[in-house]
Amino acid sequence: MNTLKAVWILVMAGLIFFSVSCATLEKGLDAVSAVGSSDVEDAVKITQAVRKSFAEITEGEEYYIGRAVAALVLSRYPVYNNTSLTTYINKVGQAVAIHSDRPEIYAGYHFLVLDTDEVNALSAPGGFIFITKGLLKRCRNEEMLANILSHEVGHVAAKHGLQSIKKSRLVDAFKVMGETAARRYAPEEVAELTNLFEQALGDIVEKLIERGYDRKYEYEADKLGVKGAATTGYDPKGMAAFLQTMVDDSAGQEGKGWFKTHPSAKDRLGKVTKQISSIKPLPSEQKVRTGRFQQAMKSVK
Amino acid sequence: MSKTLRIRTLALAILTILVTFLIAENLFVKVQSARLRKEPKFYAATIVFLKAGESVSKISSQGGWLLVKTASGIKGWLHSSAVQRKKVDLVTMDKSLKAKASADEVALASKGFNEQVEKEYKARNKDISFAWVDKMLAINVTPEQLRKFLQAGKLAEFGGGP
Repeated sequence: MNTLKAVWILVMAGLIFFSVSCATLEKGLDAVSAVGSSDVEDAVKITQAVRKSFAEITEGEEYYIGRAVAALVLSRYPVYNNTSLTTYINKVGQAVAIHSDRPEIYAGYHFLVLDTDEVNALSAPGGFIFITKGLLKRCRNEEMLANILSHEVGHVAAKHGLQSIKKSRLVDAFKVMGETAARRYAPEEVAELTNLFEQALGDIVEKLIERGYDRKYEYEADKLGVKGAATTGYDPKGMAAFLQTMVDDSAGQEGKGWFKTHPSAKDRLGKVTKQISSIKPLPSEQKVRTGRFQQAMKSVK
Repeated sequence: MSKTLRIRTLALAILTILVTFLIAENLFVKVQSARLRKEPKFYAATIVFLKAGESVSKISSQGGWLLVKTASGIKGWLHSSAVQRKKVDLVTMDKSLKAKASADEVALASKGFNEQVEKEYKARNKDISFAWVDKMLAINVTPEQLRKFLQAGKLAEFGGGP
């Protein structure tokens, strides 16, 4: 009977605690609602008003920013329309993306080859990743390709593109977003938001194509890329091998593509080599992967 | 069944429900479409697709994966990067407040830089084409294709990785 009493007391205590918790929380929510009014729209207004930095850009907003940045990249470079190669690149890309710090993003990661001999790889927010034919031709195996794609996934996962948006634009944009709770904006609000949207795109494209991300972001993407590739099972020395080709060739390509937008390959190689030395066990290149890479690249002219 | 045993069973049942309520973590999907998977693996079969804003409750976790239950009672695995914790948890047990919270989340998901802003941007910049962006989004590696690719390449748990 003592056991029964103990169980009963426990249940009753739990129920009391439970009711008090709910009541307190409901009161808390009512108090929040009372600041504005009691409807959903004001709840949204309150939530929006406290958004301050790039970190609070929603997954959906990141996606729409990324779509437009991707469209701008594609207005500058033609697409290398090769279905089998695109499929292969996307498989390698997915393999490393699921081993990144942010495997699930709003509309997933998507990869496309750009038809240019310029050596470059670009990533727009929201997972739109581009690699040029010129860069692909530098890769000798799947390990090198996977490490480069993993570096680009790292930029997306760490939201480096979004961090390029000037803070003042975000403050202004969040202000407009916070002033209305309607899911559809009035024409003047759309006009103002689109102005800010265009300016934000300008900030990102300037960094992505013209000036390059800050050095610290490139080093961070290298670190994330090497980690992600190695976790997937790729030899991270693929990144070092790629950077070595850039060190060897930097004189000829200086001022273009990757060379213009990335810090010195020599500095990056030093940091990456140090990171690789700490990875244990170190995955190694597999013939089967090199074989399928060569097969996929056969049609690339 | 004796009276004492019946009371004990009832008490334990109430306690179990109570504990479940107290530890249940309510989450909502923050990506456009999340696969609810049969196993905690990216290449596992998909049970159902969950839309942005849909609520799930966490049952347990394993690595970066969460075993969840949907509002309609379907259990499956979601990666933690696909969901976000609800701002107010226990309150969602009240029906009216539950409606309030989920409408809030859905509204937030569609606010700001959204389809409406993109439409205006396109109207202003007719020379910028989104055709390849949409084609890019249509490129889809299925879970089965991904599994085969990893397996053939001796990647992840099929070889070099963890």
